[in-house]
Amino acid sequence: MSILTIKNLSKSYGKIQALDNLSLEINAGEVYGILGPNGSGKTTTLGIILGILAANTGSYQWFDGKYGPSHRKRIGAILETPNFYPYKTAEDNLKIVSHIKGSTTDNYDEVLELVNLSHRKKSPFRTYSLGMKQRLAIAATMIGEPDVIIFDEPTNGLDPQGIAEVRQTLTQIASTGKTVIMASHILDEVEKICSHVAIIKNGHLLATGSVGSILSDKVTLELQSANLDGLSSFLANIPWLEKAIRVGDKLEAQMDPTHSIAEVNKLAFEKGITLTHLVSRKQRLEEEFLEITK
Amino acid sequence: MNAMNLLSLEWKKFKNNSVFNLFGVMYLVTYPVVIFIGKELQLPAMVLDTNDFFMFPNNWQWMAYVGNWLVFFFLGFIMMNMITSEVGFKTMRQNIITGMTRKDYFLGKLYTAIAISLATTLYYIICTVAIGFFHNDPYSFANAFDEPIWIFRFFLMSMGYLSFALLIGFVIRRSGVAIFTYTCYILFIELMLKWFVHGKVVSNSSSINYWPLNAIEDLAPLPSWNKLENVPMKDIDFAFLLTPSHAMIASSIYICLFIGLAYWHFMKKDI
Repeated sequence: MSILTIKNLSKSYGKIQALDNLSLEINAGEVYGILGPNGSGKTTTLGIILGILAANTGSYQWFDGKYGPSHRKRIGAILETPNFYPYKTAEDNLKIVSHIKGSTTDNYDEVLELVNLSHRKKSPFRTYSLGMKQRLAIAATMIGEPDVIIFDEPTNGLDPQGIAEVRQTLTQIASTGKTVIMASHILDEVEKICSHVAIIKNGHLLATGSVGSILSDKVTLELQSANLDGLSSFLANIPWLEKAIRVGDKLEAQMDPTHSIAEVNKLAFEKGITLTHLVSRKQRLEEEFLEITK
Repeated sequence: MNAMNLLSLEWKKFKNNSVFNLFGVMYLVTYPVVIFIGKELQLPAMVLDTNDFFMFPNNWQWMAYVGNWLVFFFLGFIMMNMITSEVGFKTMRQNIITGMTRKDYFLGKLYTAIAISLATTLYYIICTVAIGFFHNDPYSFANAFDEPIWIFRFFLMSMGYLSFALLIGFVIRRSGVAIFTYTCYILFIELMLKWFVHGKVVSNSSSINYWPLNAIEDLAPLPSWNKLENVPMKDIDFAFLLTPSHAMIASSIYICLFIGLAYWHFMKKDI
């Protein structure tokens, strides 16, 4: 079932084209990452599909039009920052969310427990640390048992402990089978949490698909030798290796996955090159991302 | 969402808000107190008999005139704060993201303006009747409801200020700038516009009194203006006030216009 269909969305702020003909399709159960550098149009896309920004052209549809204009009551979302009434407690803020969603069965203790905030439920929002505010925003997305949850840069501005806590909560939510849409410029986050990804830059869609399909099946080799120049010439002559580049005091090359690291070692030895370091790793999303958005 | 549901949501949002509570309490306390300052005025009786402030039925006019200033100041600020603070906290956009339609969000604020106007009109009635009752000797309600039109004029006056505050709040959005614009428009800008358009701030041309806030002010004017109008002065040849019926008609049109413009602006702008 299609959860969200975006067709040819464009949005400009004066002369700046924030989105240019963007189309996406997100299906039920996907954990969908919208990945792009800062200013690529991620938040603008979310702002439009959440009804707070008007697109210049294009259209979008939630749930195949099933819920009409009240479709956002089926969505829990944070956009940019956690937004609550600062003079109200966590519990009172969640009650306002319930009221808007028309939900009467919420268990505030349970959702606050999920984000480890139940001990501060009677404290005003303004007394919270940034990490706690972010966690309350995540709790608020769970109110009314929504079908879709949207996070925009959920770990922005958090300290390492806060990042770890928020990621753990997100992974927990993603594992419940809900559709999750997450915008982020942090590749590691998307790679760890998402099943699908769309990469955008300057408002253009550059690539989309499952994280597996976006991830190249090529293997990256890291090599080191006392004779680095000799090693470089040697690698250039192997047809199933490409892009041998120097990174610090090592060389990196991409290897066709039909070959093995042992073959490289054997050939180097036969050519009289002694390798002092040889490691293979699967190419990470970060490298793909940098490659795609170059 | 129905009207009661929207009003109950607004109450949940603002019942602990310090500006809402402070200005609300100040209004409730100041309103009946201000009229008693009149007791301290030492005016010759031929100019103004200060008993007029307290006796039926003229105290309806005086209480409406006091309300004119206080509603403009305290309740107008509360109304703007209920919009601009939500922009500042970003809860306006969050309410929409959470599931409200823009129309419902706007209606929540409009119903609040109507509810505040009804509540303050009720308070006007209670204060005026109580003050009049306790100043009759012996205590009496005689002539208390001789001029019931004042109740409607007071409600319309309150709706006029609150709908103007609604428009300023939705269009300007930033708290400080909105309060500055609202206050300056009423105190100076409209006078300046009159000067630019008519070449003077008072004129014998009747059109000069139809400016928006002038029309709303004329719903509950200083009662002494009426006395001045009866004084024949050959050098002063202009109408001080709109007639009550013209003030009511003009104000009603402006209220619809303010609400319509605020709605149109809110529906089409990014939040």
